[in-house]
Amino acid sequence: MGYFIALAIAAGLGLPIAVIGGGLGQGKAAAAALEGIARQPEASGKIQTAMIIALALIESLVIYSLLIFFLLSAKLPATADILKLISK
Amino acid sequence: MQEVSPWILLGMAGIVALALMIFAFAATGRLEKIPTTPLQGFAELVVSSLNNYVVGIVGPDGGKYTPFIGTLFVYILGMNLLGLIPGLHSPTSNLSITASVALVVFVYYNYVSIKVRGAKAWFMHLLGEPLWLCWLMFPIHVIGELARPLSLAIRLYGNIFGEETVMMVLAGMSLVIIPYFIAIPSQLLMMFFGVFTAFVQSLVFISLTAIYLGIGIADHEEH
Repeated sequence: MGYFIALAIAAGLGLPIAVIGGGLGQGKAAAAALEGIARQPEASGKIQTAMIIALALIESLVIYSLLIFFLLSAKLPATADILKLISK
Repeated sequence: MQEVSPWILLGMAGIVALALMIFAFAATGRLEKIPTTPLQGFAELVVSSLNNYVVGIVGPDGGKYTPFIGTLFVYILGMNLLGLIPGLHSPTSNLSITASVALVVFVYYNYVSIKVRGAKAWFMHLLGEPLWLCWLMFPIHVIGELARPLSLAIRLYGNIFGEETVMMVLAGMSLVIIPYFIAIPSQLLMMFFGVFTAFVQSLVFISLTAIYLGIGIADHEEH
């Protein structure tokens, strides 16, 4: 029973914790890109391309965590089985 | 969550490749210096912008690698966009297909690196700079090298599979709220984001490929 509790908590908390770091990183990248565009609007095409690539790379780390969530949530049992387990 | 058979996805990937080949043959059937047919004009637009992009990353003699990287871009873009058609699934939402593309890229950029700089330079790069630290640097470099195709495969797979799952959940939600007859396409906004994700993910894939190629063929000593 404790195994299922731990599994449910891990499946629920893993992704949001990864999103904290990902959000902070993407915010810094976007802020630097916007500052560069504001400083030199002629280079905005190159800066925009580099920003999109940087954002996608940072986001891929959060996507790895999403994959772990899918793997874990597939192993969670159905509610009926848990109720049977508790009532025994 | 229902699993789509990987063989059906493989067949769809083959159909994407076939469609690209048909487009290529149709666009270059009768080549003229100044394009008159709209197909040739569109193909020239795509090829020239990809060429500029690859040469910008790899260096002045990167034009040799534009065919490979350009084909990779259009192929992955086609596979990603296929999932947005109702009833079809993206081939890239399966880890086997993305892993095979990443494996091809891994073999290719190592092959190019060995061909351009020689096998000795490629191996010495793996050993690292101070030679007396090579026992420490070699495992670290090998793991780093192996992490490149792994991250390429998992990034593409995770993005496309996650986006498809979100669309499935959103589409199912409309059937729960108003049951039986009316099905609102509540995943429409997500599909716009899906088009954007398809472009960005294929762009990131080929950018990383071009960067690894550029690192592989760069001269470290001469300027």
